[in-house]
Amino acid sequence: MLRKKKRLNLPNLITCIAFFGILIFMAVMTAVLPKQDFLEMENKYAEKFPKFSAKAVFNRTYMNKTESYISDHFAGRIGWIKARTVLETSLGKRERNGIYILDNRLAEKIPESDYSSVDKAIAAINKFAEGNDIPVFTMIVPTSAEIYADELPENAPNADQKEFIDYVYQNLGKSVNTIDVYQTMFSNRDDYIYYRTDHHWTTMGAYLAYAAAGKKMGYDPVPPELFDIEHAGIDFIGTFYSKTLYDGVEKDTIDFYHPNVGSRVTEVAITSDFGKEPAIYESMYFREYLDKKDKYASFLGTNVPIVDIKSDNGGGKLLVIKDSYAHCYAPFLTQHYSEITLVDMRYINMPLNKVLDMGEYDQALILYNASSFMTDTDIRKLGYGQ
Amino acid sequence: MVFSSLTFLYYFLPIVLIVYIFLPNRIAVPIGKEKNLVIPARNLLILLTGFFFYAWGEPFYVVIMLFSTLIDYTAGRMMDKFDDRPKIRTVCLIVSVCMNIGLLAVFKYSDFIFDTVNSVFGTDITNPVILANRAINDIYNFGLSEDRVALPIGISFYTFQSMSYTIDLYLRKIKVQKSFIGFTSYVTLFPQIVAGPIVRYEDVAAEIEDRKVNIGKISEGIAKFSKGLAKKVLLANNIGIIWTEVKAMDYSQISAATAWLGILAFTFQIYFDFSGYSDMAVGLGKMLGFNFPKNFDHPYLSKSVSEFWRRWHITLGTWFREYVYIPLGGNRKGMAKTLRNLLIVWALTGLWHGASWNFVVWGLYYGILIIIERVGFGKILEKLPSAVSMLYTFLITVFGWVLFDTDGMGKAWQFFKAMFGAGGSFADSTAKYIFSSNILIFIICIFASTTIFGKLVAFLKKKKRLVYAYAVPAAVVCVMLLCTSYLVDSSYNPFLYFRF
Repeated sequence: MLRKKKRLNLPNLITCIAFFGILIFMAVMTAVLPKQDFLEMENKYAEKFPKFSAKAVFNRTYMNKTESYISDHFAGRIGWIKARTVLETSLGKRERNGIYILDNRLAEKIPESDYSSVDKAIAAINKFAEGNDIPVFTMIVPTSAEIYADELPENAPNADQKEFIDYVYQNLGKSVNTIDVYQTMFSNRDDYIYYRTDHHWTTMGAYLAYAAAGKKMGYDPVPPELFDIEHAGIDFIGTFYSKTLYDGVEKDTIDFYHPNVGSRVTEVAITSDFGKEPAIYESMYFREYLDKKDKYASFLGTNVPIVDIKSDNGGGKLLVIKDSYAHCYAPFLTQHYSEITLVDMRYINMPLNKVLDMGEYDQALILYNASSFMTDTDIRKLGYGQ
Repeated sequence: MVFSSLTFLYYFLPIVLIVYIFLPNRIAVPIGKEKNLVIPARNLLILLTGFFFYAWGEPFYVVIMLFSTLIDYTAGRMMDKFDDRPKIRTVCLIVSVCMNIGLLAVFKYSDFIFDTVNSVFGTDITNPVILANRAINDIYNFGLSEDRVALPIGISFYTFQSMSYTIDLYLRKIKVQKSFIGFTSYVTLFPQIVAGPIVRYEDVAAEIEDRKVNIGKISEGIAKFSKGLAKKVLLANNIGIIWTEVKAMDYSQISAATAWLGILAFTFQIYFDFSGYSDMAVGLGKMLGFNFPKNFDHPYLSKSVSEFWRRWHITLGTWFREYVYIPLGGNRKGMAKTLRNLLIVWALTGLWHGASWNFVVWGLYYGILIIIERVGFGKILEKLPSAVSMLYTFLITVFGWVLFDTDGMGKAWQFFKAMFGAGGSFADSTAKYIFSSNILIFIICIFASTTIFGKLVAFLKKKKRLVYAYAVPAAVVCVMLLCTSYLVDSSYNPFLYFRF
C-alpha cells in the first residue's frame, strides 16, 4: 500500500518551535549570563552551584540547591516577577506578598493579633522599670497601615493598632511613662511622615514624635525652622517595594535634618559583635548606603547589638531599647543628651546589666513601631536578671 | 522533580525530548559476523531518564522501586516459562501482589498501623522502619526521616501499575514482556511515575514495543502539557492560597461564608492540581509517542455520585474495578455481596488516598452514597432537572473534601458546623475580603470546570480552522510565559530584616 506523504502542518511546526524555542532560549541565557553573588532586591546571597558528593545527593541537598541555583540565577528573574505583579494589579488585585497596594503607597498587611506574645513583653517592661531606679519611657509608634487604614482595600484584614497601643499602655505599670504619638501622627497624615515604599517612618515623622515627646521626657524640642534639611537620598525604594516590585508608587526621598545651631556629635561607637572593640565613626550618617538599595541604613548603619552616640551636649545619658524606627529618631535626641546608647534586644542574650552599666543612665526609652512590637519575642529578655 | 519547576521545564524536558526525538526506537550495533546487538535505544533513554527523574526526588528509596520492578519482571518471566504449571504461575502472582502490597504496608501504612495498635492497646511500639532509618542515618547521615515514615514518592502509583502487569499476565490478557529494559521503561516512564495516571500495562503494551513520534503528536502533546501547566500553576496554586489561609483559621470563630469560600477554593484547587498534573503527564506521554488513558472528564458536572467517580481519577476507579471489584464477584452474586464488594472497594479507595481514618471515612462516605443511588435514589436523580442533580452531586463532593482535607475527624466536624453558621456570623469582613479580592479566579475556575472552553475549541476546530491552527501556538506561548513568571516568583521570598 502506498502512503501519501503528509504535507507539513505549519501551525504544528510553529507550536513546536515556539515551545522549544522558549525553553532553550531561557535555559541558554540562564547558563551564559553573568551571575550575581548578591541579590540586592531580595537582600540575600544567591545560591552557589552545589558541590557533588554522595552525601549531598542522598540527603537531597544537592538537588535542592541546584533548583535554588537555577531559580536564583534565572535569566531576567526580577523582570519575570514584576510581570506577575503588573498582571495581577491590572486585574484588580491590591495585595502582594503580604503588602497592600494603595493609591500612591504600599502598606504592610498586619493580621489581627491575639496579644499573646505581647503580654510577656509588657510584663518584662514592667519588671525592668521596677528594677531600675530611673524614669522609663515607652513609645509605640503606629505604622502607615494604621494611619492610612481608610485607603486600604475594602474589608482588608488590618490589625487595629490604636486599640493595640492603648492595650499596651493600659497594662504598663505606674513606673512606666507612656508617650502616645498616635494623635501626632494621625493629625499630620497629609505630610510626608511615612515612606511610601518602606516600612519606616520618615525623618519628618520621627521629628514630630520627638517634638511631642519633649514635654514628658523633659526637653525643649528644637523648632523645625532651625534645621537645614538635606535631601540626601533620592529614588529610595524600600522593603515594601522589594516585596511587591510594584512600580506604580512614587519613589521615596531620605532626608537628613541638620540643626544649624546646638550640639555636635563627637563620636559614634558601633558594637557589631560582643567582645570586640566597637568601631568608631564621626557621624551618625553613613553616606555610603545612599548609593545602595538599602538607603535607610544611612541612619546609623544596619542593625547591630549596640550603638553609642556621644555629643558635646551637657545633658544626661539616655538608654534606648529599640527597633530600627529609632535610627532616624536618635539624631534629634543628641541635642539633649550627652550620650545615647541604642540597644537591639534581638542580639542581647544575657541580662542587660551584664552588658551595660545601668547606673550610668539617667533615663530609658523603649521605642518600637506597633507592628514589630506586636510580634516581638525579644523584649521579654528585658526582664532577665531584674 | 515536579513538572511545575524551572529545573524540569527548562533543563530536563528539552534535553530529554530533543535527544529522544532524534533517537530511533532501536539501534543495531554489529558485533562479529552477521550478528547484531539490537539496543532498544528509546526505551533505554526512558529508563535512564526516568530513573534520574525519580532519584532526583527520592535518591534513597529509588532502590525500592527498582526492587519492585525486578520482582515483577521476574514473576512475569516465570509465569511465561511455566505456562503449563498453574501452581507455579499462582505462586508467581502471589509473590508479586504480596510484595507490592507489602511495600505499601511498610512505607505507606506502617505509621498508621502502629499508631492504631499503640492507641488501642496502650503500647508504645516504635515503627521498625523508623528504627531502620535511624540506623542508616547513624552510618551514612542521609537525613532519612526519624519521626514518621516519609512516603516514597509515587509508591501508590507504581505499585498499582506493576500489579496490573502481573495480574493481567496471570489472567492471560496480555503477553509477557521479555525485555527487562522494556518492562522497566514502562515503570519508570517519567510522565506518569510520580502522580499517575495509573497507566495499566495493557494500555501501553503495544507502544512499548514500537511507537512513532512526529511533529503532529509533539505539538498535540505540547498543547495538552501547556493546558495542564496552566491549570496547575495559574489556577490551582492561586486559588489554593485561599484554602491555606482558611484552613489555618480557628473554625469556631470563622463565619459561614469564610468556611464556604475556603472549602470551595480547595474543591477547585484539588481538581485543577490533579487534573492539571494528569494533563501534563498525558501531554508528555504524547510527545514521547504514548497514548495514556484519560484521567478526568469534567467531574464537577456530574449528575450523580456514581457518575462523579466515573469522571474523577478515572484510572484509579478502573484499577479498583478491574482488580478488586470484579474479582470479588462485582454485582453478579446478589445484592448482599454487591453491597459488600462496594463497601470494600470504597474503603480501599479511601485508604489509597492516605493512611488515616479521615480517608477511610471519606471513602466509605462515597461507598454509602453510591449504594444509596444504586438501591433507587439514582432513578430519582435521573428524573430531577439536571441543575438540581448537578448541584446535589457538587455539594456532596464539597462536603467530601471537608472530610478529605481537614486534620482529623474532630476538625472536620468543627468545619461542618462552621459552614452552617456555628461561628456566629454569616459573612464577616474576612469573607468579604476573600470574596472581593478573589472573585476573578473563582469565576475562571468555575468556567474552566465546565465544557465551555472545550466546546469553543471544538467550534474553532470545525468552523474556523485557520483561527484554531494559530490559536494553539499563541496559547502555548502565553501559558509558558505566564507560568514561568509565576514559577520564578514562587522562589521569590525577600529576606529583608522586615521587622527592624
